[in-house]
Amino acid sequence: MPRYLHLLWVHLRLGILNELQYRTNLGVQLIQSFMGLATSLLGLGVIFSKTDNLAGWRPAELLAIVGVYSLVSGLTQLIVRPSLSRFMEDIRLGTLDFTLTKPVDAQMLVSMRQIEVWKLVDVIVGIVVLAVAMVQLGATIGPAEAVLFVIALLAGVTIIYSFLMILAICAFWFVKLDNILQIFQSMYEAGRWPIAVYPPWLRAALTFLVPVGFAITVPAEGLVGRMTIGSILGAVGLAIALPLVARWFWRIGVRHYSGASA
Amino acid sequence: MTSTLPDFAAPAIRVRDLRKSYMVPERESGLRASVRSLWNRQTREVVAVGGISFDVAPGEIVGFLGPNGAGKTTTLKMLSGLLYPTGGEATVLGHTPWQRGKAYLRQMTLVMGQRNQLVWDIPVSDSYELNRAIYRIPDAEYHETLAELRDLLDLGPLLTKPARNLSLGERMKCELGGALLHRPRVLFLDEPTLGLDVTAQRRIRAFIAEYAERHNATVLLTSHYMADVEALAARVIVIHHGTLLFDGVLAGLVARFSPHKLLTVDLEHPVAGLERYGEVVSIDDVRVTLRVPKGSAAAATARLLADLPVADLSVTDPPIDEVIDRVFSADEEPEVPASADEALVTTA
Repeated sequence: MPRYLHLLWVHLRLGILNELQYRTNLGVQLIQSFMGLATSLLGLGVIFSKTDNLAGWRPAELLAIVGVYSLVSGLTQLIVRPSLSRFMEDIRLGTLDFTLTKPVDAQMLVSMRQIEVWKLVDVIVGIVVLAVAMVQLGATIGPAEAVLFVIALLAGVTIIYSFLMILAICAFWFVKLDNILQIFQSMYEAGRWPIAVYPPWLRAALTFLVPVGFAITVPAEGLVGRMTIGSILGAVGLAIALPLVARWFWRIGVRHYSGASA
Repeated sequence: MTSTLPDFAAPAIRVRDLRKSYMVPERESGLRASVRSLWNRQTREVVAVGGISFDVAPGEIVGFLGPNGAGKTTTLKMLSGLLYPTGGEATVLGHTPWQRGKAYLRQMTLVMGQRNQLVWDIPVSDSYELNRAIYRIPDAEYHETLAELRDLLDLGPLLTKPARNLSLGERMKCELGGALLHRPRVLFLDEPTLGLDVTAQRRIRAFIAEYAERHNATVLLTSHYMADVEALAARVIVIHHGTLLFDGVLAGLVARFSPHKLLTVDLEHPVAGLERYGEVVSIDDVRVTLRVPKGSAAAATARLLADLPVADLSVTDPPIDEVIDRVFSADEEPEVPASADEALVTTA
């Protein structure tokens, strides 16, 4: 494992060094992040001008959701999304051959090959928003909530990673799948709101079909002290099971690639 | 592996009856056939490699020849662990390639002329840095190897540029450098000089020879350019339609597949009626090139010298390109039997 952390560090360092040459990108990313944040906050403002709770969530609690949304989104778009896009491109171009002939775990390697440094802005924005929400919530946050939050957040990121990985692996069979990660992104945006606001069928889909609920709502629940035993067990269970499924699927994909491609 | 002692006689690459076939969907054209094929899919087996066997000794450079679709790349991909074979076996440095063991991958490298491994947007040295981390090359060894490669390939001014700003030849040099940082013992080079100009080709060839010599590396190289093979490989393996057609020294290939010799004659003045001595390949004023069957080259030479005002005469093998061309086009136009050629000359 330390070996892969080192590899990740090398990729991160090179990503930062190279991005520093293009300072305009920082400006664009700042604008993009704050536009996203403003949209979320304006939405909240409109809703709470009519009512002071949404599906049982108070304003400060919803702010926590906005924070988690930005944080998880930043973390996945920093490494996972760009790396998996590149992986799918590598399948299309045949350059995946180079990855598969390297003496390291190929799945790990394709998961960290491309870093979009500026997405760190989203991570920072998420942390700031969370901090504001925590201050507003004040006394209700104890060490237990903090620990649950961190566990649920790690589980959430693992779930999103595995889910995206499974989608990307499909490219072994269907080479042209450019849009699949974009489609996921638009479903992910449903996670801006607690999934309790959605009708039951959509709630079920966002929990089990596209596990956005586990990735965003559950960590926020941990923070605001609304987490149930069921939801944390579900999140942790899924965070254990989904990577195994992704691994199994990866093996099948690689076997297919080495069996059929010319 | 039955013995833990190093076996000095063991080949670096050992291939036995290696086969690979693909199932490809077969579909008639037209909408109706396309729809029907959704549930009733017809497949057809295409044999890419149909049972080839050979050994390559450590430190040997072998040229792998064959027209497009002959199965060269498929074989290289099986040997570098990317493809599972349909049948047969292969070991490289004692490992079965397609098990993709880290111990094996650590010692080999794959270079494909038409695909880039360098990251497009970042400086070449950064791509090297990534390979260094992947192969866990110790600092001292890395700097030593990099210095050596920088000298041999003249990489100095290129390393700080992003790959996208390099010319094709420069990029290939950098690709090779990156692929050799971990000092592999086996090199699989698939068309390493594809699309390069003559100077760059020569440069790359000289480098490959030098590297193999210094590190006693085993090289299996495919190329369309016969000059590559002539310059580098004493031995060639020719495959065609997935089967092995020839395995031996380059000169032997000419002997085996070319039943002809070329007679180049400088005459003192132009002469007509040269067809009597052999097939006229070219006439350039007083310089004439004739193709004659190998067996009657001596007789034809004697008659030419006796009959004509010859200023100079040389007997050579036809260019290797031409020989190869004949081998590969053999099934498109049936070759004229050697005896018929012979008849042509004896009646002359």
